[in-house]
Amino acid sequence: MVGETLIPTLLTIAWLLPLLGFAVEMLYGRKGERTTTKWPAWCAVACIGTGFLCSLIALLTWGQATGWAVLESHDLHGPDQHHSEDDPHHHGDSPKHQASTNESGWQMTALTATENSDDAEHVPFPSVYSGTLYTLGVFGSLVVSIDYYIDSLTLVMFTMVTLIATCIHLFAMGYMSDELTNEYVDHFAHTSDGKHVHRPGRFYRFFAYMSLFCFSMLGLVLAGNIFQVFVFWELVGICSYLLIGFYTERKSAGDAANKAFIMNRIGDFGFLIGLMVVWTWFGTFQFSELFDSLPRDATGHIVTNDLGEVAVSTHSGESRSIPYSLLVVAGLGVFAGCIGKSAQFPLQTWLPDAMEGPTPVSALVHSATMVAAGVYLVGRFYPMFVPEVLLTIAYIGAITLFLAATIAVVATDIKRVLAYSTISQLGYMMLGLGVFGWAAGLFHLITHAFFKSLMFLCSGSVIHGCHHEQEMPKMGGLMRKMPITAGTMLIGVIAISGLAVPGLIAFSGYHSKDAIVATALAFIQANPAHFLLFLLPLLTAGITAFYMFRLWFYTFFGEPRDQHIYDHAHESPWIMTAPLLVLAVFAAGCAIGGEKGMLYMMLLGSEPVHVANGVPAATVGELVLPGHSAIHDVHAKAGMWALLAAISGTLLAYVLYGTKTVNLSDMKRQLAGIHQFLSEKWYFDELYHALFMKPVHQVAALFAWIDRTMIDRVVHASAGLMVKISKWDRFFDETFVDGLVNLIARATFSSGILLKAVQTGRLRQYVMFIVVGVVALFAVLFTTFPN
Amino acid sequence: MNGDSLFFTLFAFMACLGAVAVVVSQRMVRMAFWLIISLGSTAALFFLIDADFLGAAQLLIYVGGTLVLLVFAVMLTSSGPYLNIETSPGEIVMAAMLGLLFLFMVVSSQTGIDWNGTNQQMAAANGMTGEISTFDSGSEGNTLRTIGMSLLGLRPDRGAAETGQLHTGYLLPFEIVSVHLLVVLIGAAYLARAKRRRDT
Amino acid sequence: MATKRNAIGILMGVELVLNGANVNLVAFSHYTTLGIDGQIYSLFVIVLAAAEAAVALAIALNFYNNHLTIDVDRANRLKG
Repeated sequence: MVGETLIPTLLTIAWLLPLLGFAVEMLYGRKGERTTTKWPAWCAVACIGTGFLCSLIALLTWGQATGWAVLESHDLHGPDQHHSEDDPHHHGDSPKHQASTNESGWQMTALTATENSDDAEHVPFPSVYSGTLYTLGVFGSLVVSIDYYIDSLTLVMFTMVTLIATCIHLFAMGYMSDELTNEYVDHFAHTSDGKHVHRPGRFYRFFAYMSLFCFSMLGLVLAGNIFQVFVFWELVGICSYLLIGFYTERKSAGDAANKAFIMNRIGDFGFLIGLMVVWTWFGTFQFSELFDSLPRDATGHIVTNDLGEVAVSTHSGESRSIPYSLLVVAGLGVFAGCIGKSAQFPLQTWLPDAMEGPTPVSALVHSATMVAAGVYLVGRFYPMFVPEVLLTIAYIGAITLFLAATIAVVATDIKRVLAYSTISQLGYMMLGLGVFGWAAGLFHLITHAFFKSLMFLCSGSVIHGCHHEQEMPKMGGLMRKMPITAGTMLIGVIAISGLAVPGLIAFSGYHSKDAIVATALAFIQANPAHFLLFLLPLLTAGITAFYMFRLWFYTFFGEPRDQHIYDHAHESPWIMTAPLLVLAVFAAGCAIGGEKGMLYMMLLGSEPVHVANGVPAATVGELVLPGHSAIHDVHAKAGMWALLAAISGTLLAYVLYGTKTVNLSDMKRQLAGIHQFLSEKWYFDELYHALFMKPVHQVAALFAWIDRTMIDRVVHASAGLMVKISKWDRFFDETFVDGLVNLIARATFSSGILLKAVQTGRLRQYVMFIVVGVVALFAVLFTTFPN
Repeated sequence: MNGDSLFFTLFAFMACLGAVAVVVSQRMVRMAFWLIISLGSTAALFFLIDADFLGAAQLLIYVGGTLVLLVFAVMLTSSGPYLNIETSPGEIVMAAMLGLLFLFMVVSSQTGIDWNGTNQQMAAANGMTGEISTFDSGSEGNTLRTIGMSLLGLRPDRGAAETGQLHTGYLLPFEIVSVHLLVVLIGAAYLARAKRRRDT
Repeated sequence: MATKRNAIGILMGVELVLNGANVNLVAFSHYTTLGIDGQIYSLFVIVLAAAEAAVALAIALNFYNNHLTIDVDRANRLKG
């Protein structure tokens, strides 16, 4: 089949091109000249743009090769593809399921009309292409290699990442253009004498870092084994570090970069533990081998024996028993890495600080792609997660989404609002994955990537237009000055809020959030004890709408609050607004069709086999994981609740910020306690400071005291002793050793003076000496041996 | 007194005379002349003692080669042919006394040794028994072949040609000398070459 | 050899000494059982003398070039 070689090749090209771009941008060009030219940006755009084309072609090739079976088979046959045992209820549900989702007004036939459904039936369903690109080394049974694992999720991620990255690169060409100088003045960084920092522009370096990031991110998505994921995981981490600390002269930027990196290290430590467990007990890192080795029974339970151990057949053919608890440890470990990378509770504090980086970075790295990598990994590693781990994921996600949303309500920095919003939305995704809505979580990942990168770029446009003013209370009324930005931002805000007119028009966020909320509702119906997992996201849906519209009203609506800024504000050039328009189209329409839409179906094609039907509880007290049918039963109800919450949030925001009926400062005074609590981000930074930093400082002080009083004393005493010994040694050296040497030298010298007389320089005398010597020798001979 | 003795006496006298004249003469050209006389007479002595090859070599290398070189050197290094660098008389007296002392020593050792006994001891040490013959009369006056074989490591004068047994030959010294000559050639050419002025 | 201040004269003296040794070697070789050893030794001596003469003359020429004389008493720069 043509796809087997073509698709990996295309994706590999798309993956490696940015690395090439990085090398070229970093190394090529003369110093002094390359700071003022735009070609590094074009180089980066060309690389990632070609990558996008490759990804798109790969996606189309994949669809062609499979006859778009993924779109059809799920529509008509559902889980038959995966499960030999058919759920008897499923077919019965199908018509209703179709009816309930057709309200979005989109027809499957539009896509499948040209396809012969009979043919699609017979095409073997190549859900996964996996293989090895290059084997780095073989250490015993451990094979470290560069693999690829391509299913529809990979393809969708590739296309999404490259598309967004291309848009953001273009936007950044406008946004970063003030770096195109040899004398850049950084107004936020001061030298020790209080002046602004002057430095050469770093335009080329910015794009080099961006290219490196794209390479790493695509490598992470393409990776075919968990170890390779880890490698690229760290690579995106270092790119994030470099980009957050892009304005190295600003102390806040350096601190933020360090914070992000260290917070990630905490999570990655767990990730490493997970890797160790996986390697020790499964003997392989390969996704394809790992997923096959875990036995599940017909209902989706992991098969355990009486001792609570799981019999696993490793890829080398032998079978061994793994304690169930180790599966939990492995899952939690890998999820710990995801917590760090996706800024989930309790490691969420780094992401808001990461907004110190340039805004395109925030859009690409810290909203659309890198932070979503954690969610992606949870999705990718999903078959290895046992229900206990999933419950943890769900709770972490629920806590995170609520906590971040509440903080976003009071934040005033436009980028920080978006950052907390990102954390909150990532929490939604985690929640969705945790409550067994695999496709729902990843669906939200894709839609969120589009509308959040759009909103970040809009905020970048605002910041650019307002000359690097980020405080919302100083803005207002910018709609008149920057209409395109305001309009596209409004699309993003509607998308994230989940506003829609059901059956008529709905933006992407509505569909994906619906899916998550519906899954959560199905989950708590099956497990009533965990009702918080539904209440929190529902409540947060309202809060989300509230703070997003608050942001929009604050920035674009009403009267200008700071006349100076307003007067100087201007709409951004076309190179910045064009990406906004493109992203706005995708933010609005990428999820078109909702759960019957192409995007969702593509994702569903990669769903792990045991998800579709749900997992019933094996014993009392265990979790019931809802299947598709259970979710669809409650979908309409959940959607209605979520929409209500969103609308009420929107209305509240309009009343508070759109009209002038309420005095905001009065309200702030009345709710001072809560406001303070939220402004201080639930005191997490202070908590961590008290919990971790202070003890460390105290312990360090203790050790410093021990060093000074005890170890130093010993060192000083030994040093004094050494000095005494050396003094004695010096005396010995000077008198005896030197004396001996001098004596020999003097003897040699005086004997030389004596013998000097013999050295007359007259050849004839020398000859005579020879003769005398010979005669004397003979004389001695004859006198000693007379015969 | 037969012819051999006559010639021996004549040439020995001439050799000694030449040598003394070289020492006594103070002028370079004359010294060179007397050296020719002395070396030529020595060559004649070699012929008389049946060392024909050696005599020829003496004539060719010493008289023909070395002396020509010496004469060249005299011409190159002196402003006139009668270059004369005086030596102080004290030194001459001193040297003469030493020379006489050396002569006395040589003569006394010559006469003080029992030649016959020594000869027998040496023969015994070389493993030769029975009658001690001096030179093989059959090969007298024709040492060319013998010397050539010796230089190749064979000793026909000790019967090695018949038995095929190898004796102490001179192959290795021969090689060493040849390499040595080459080195000397290069070294001499290097030392005596016309000096180019170094501008740098 | 011991009476000459002239470098070439000294060289001639050396030649004479070597020649005397040659005569000795040949004579001994003739009148003992040593076969032609003596002759071969003298042969080597002749060859070495020739070599020595070549080098010594080269040195003498160099010396003359530098000092414009061949008086060996002038070569006393290294005198102690």
